[in-house]
Amino acid sequence: MFGKLMIGGAALLLFAAEVRAETIEDKVQVCTGCHGENGKPVDKTIPTIWGQQAGYLYIQLRDFKRGDRKSEIMQPIATQFERDDMLAIAEYFSQKPWPDLGQPHAPKDVAAKAVAASASVGCPACHLDRFQGDGTVPRLAGMGRDYLAKTIADFRTRARGNNPGMSDLMLATSPDDLAALVEYLAGL
Amino acid sequence: MYVKGLAAFAAAVGVGLLSGAAIAQEVKQEKQSVLGNANVSPVTQEQLNAADKNAKDFLLTNGNYAQTRFYPGKQIGRDNVKNLHVAWIFQTDVKESLETSPIVVDGVMYVTTSFSHVYALDAKTGQQLWHYAHKMGPITVYCCGPNNRGVQVLGDRVYLATLDSKLLALNAKTGEVVWTTNIADPELGYSETMAPTVVKDKVLIGTNGGEYGIRGFVRAYDAKTGKQLWNFNTIPENSVGVWATKDATGRDMHRNIQAEKDMLGKIGDPYAKLGGGVWQNPSVDLATNRIYFVVGNPSPDLDGSNRPGDNLYTNSLVSLDLDTGKYVCHFQYIAHDVWDLDAVSPTVLVDVKDKGGKSIPGVIHAGKTGHIYVHDRKDCSLIRFSEAMVPQENMWVLPTKEGARMLPGANGGVEWSPIATDPGQELAYAINLHQPMTYHVESSAYPNGKLWLGGAFKVIPSEKQSGNITAVNYNTGKIKWQVNTPEPMIGGILATAGGLVFTGEGNGKFAAYNSSNGKELWSFRAGAGVNAPPSSYMVGGKQYVVVGAGGNTQLDYKRGNNIIAFTLD
Repeated sequence: MFGKLMIGGAALLLFAAEVRAETIEDKVQVCTGCHGENGKPVDKTIPTIWGQQAGYLYIQLRDFKRGDRKSEIMQPIATQFERDDMLAIAEYFSQKPWPDLGQPHAPKDVAAKAVAASASVGCPACHLDRFQGDGTVPRLAGMGRDYLAKTIADFRTRARGNNPGMSDLMLATSPDDLAALVEYLAGL
Repeated sequence: MYVKGLAAFAAAVGVGLLSGAAIAQEVKQEKQSVLGNANVSPVTQEQLNAADKNAKDFLLTNGNYAQTRFYPGKQIGRDNVKNLHVAWIFQTDVKESLETSPIVVDGVMYVTTSFSHVYALDAKTGQQLWHYAHKMGPITVYCCGPNNRGVQVLGDRVYLATLDSKLLALNAKTGEVVWTTNIADPELGYSETMAPTVVKDKVLIGTNGGEYGIRGFVRAYDAKTGKQLWNFNTIPENSVGVWATKDATGRDMHRNIQAEKDMLGKIGDPYAKLGGGVWQNPSVDLATNRIYFVVGNPSPDLDGSNRPGDNLYTNSLVSLDLDTGKYVCHFQYIAHDVWDLDAVSPTVLVDVKDKGGKSIPGVIHAGKTGHIYVHDRKDCSLIRFSEAMVPQENMWVLPTKEGARMLPGANGGVEWSPIATDPGQELAYAINLHQPMTYHVESSAYPNGKLWLGGAFKVIPSEKQSGNITAVNYNTGKIKWQVNTPEPMIGGILATAGGLVFTGEGNGKFAAYNSSNGKELWSFRAGAGVNAPPSSYMVGGKQYVVVGAGGNTQLDYKRGNNIIAFTLD
């Protein structure tokens, strides 16, 4: 895992100096090292970005650059990009098909628990029907289970600090309910 | 047609089993605009002024500039409403929350959908005349669904405000874009879901964003050019106010005034990111040239620790001069709100009895608190408030980390749903929610346009939710009748001269009630949540009632994509 990330980082350094001259395909080459050649992330704690909402991808790149979202890997990558690059990269990945990670549907009792928890704090009001997301709100349906679990945990500790509203909602939801939500969302 | 076929297939087999990519396409249309020809006469200002007497058209979002939602036609009445049947159903290309108020001009209907699409339809047949599919920018930040509540027509133009915070004028005949104006930066949390109000060559618009630390406003744009004419910040630079300790009904709000004053000394006036969105159309008093609207919650919703003061003009009725946008008067319902029990349902202008029983020009508003507030239009002062239309318990307990239970829940009472009135009966009709919730507080710094709730409001799963339709005499404040519904209600209501009120529910029921006693006289099952305000109109000598059935994002009611028109045999 770490080795792959290092390769990604090295690729970045090589291409960063010529970022303006490159095509979008060149620019996004660095991303495949972790997020996958075919849209399936190489590690389960890495998010799916193929088919993700463009507005969300842009905001994350922006926040990595600003340091509002912490990541030793992503921050130096995002720092190379200007706003137009970020928007172009976001648009590029949003147009790719969402990969099927082959995660099983949650059992009925788990799904029921997740839906009740979701209704209680109003997740669909932003993530929309069937958790497809829109604009700057991410799609969660079919996202990697380990990434979902890690992100929710990071929201609860505010280690993921670029969306305090999400932290508030996760803190208002019990760990038990959140575990059910992870299962449910991963299997959608 | 591929998309519609997919939607039908999804409904048939159960959408939960389909792959995500297919569903995404069904919900988030990437449809192209289809230009067409709507043979419609230009709408004059005189027509708009007289909309309250016009049974042929439905020209303004809430029926007329006073926003009474009282339709003057009576072909459909208490005796024959049982014979109402479907005239046509139009399926839009977007299967998401429908909150549109259909506008009808000269036999042409204009409706909108989520993601800011507009359709022109033949109001007699439901045939599509044109479709404007807004090319949404990648950055949208909005609360409570990608909704759009409708358009307005003046001259030969249709005015639309979009989710990515743009104002557009479309050609009413063809759907072509005439001009576009950027209203505000969506990256900072600004979005548009309301219908514009067009009056005297001005397009009036507010903004959403009270959940994202915006500074709210109401603006007027030139209807011909899209150029901004005036701006009124709903949060003044001095937002501190009078340190009110009681709400409009006299209940103590448990503010720690000293702590707030200390914080004010440390951080200064918090006006710049204090929220104050405006969700719904202003009413327009043509006689005095004033507008009346309500301002929503402060940012962050539940955490008052970093926003000392009354947070003016959040949770307030505000009046401005139409020509200049200058402040006239305001009345704040809840100072320093930490429950998001704000003011969102549109104001209505009716004559009301003052405290001495004299009839005066009034303005009324239905609050999330569950009260209907009755004001003197001259100075915004409160004359009376109605009995509570929903259970109230433990008001105003302060939110805690663990969650404090209080009724009503944060959605109301009355949400954005417009009320209707029948001045002849001195009644206001409101649809209400009853959702027991706990209020949780968390503190965090301004997050650069991200969701900034300052905590959470949480439905208590073990407690029963419900809704109601309530008729209130606004001259006495007494409830005249109430019909209970199995689910919380959101959408809107229409009263008619036929002695009826029409409204819908999240379970798909759309019904007509006797407006004097609440007796149900007719109902229909739409198959998706009927959570939009109905309109009524005449074409070919027949009265129609039309409503959107698309469900609701905020309450997660079953989605659909139907505009349904009803008429008599």
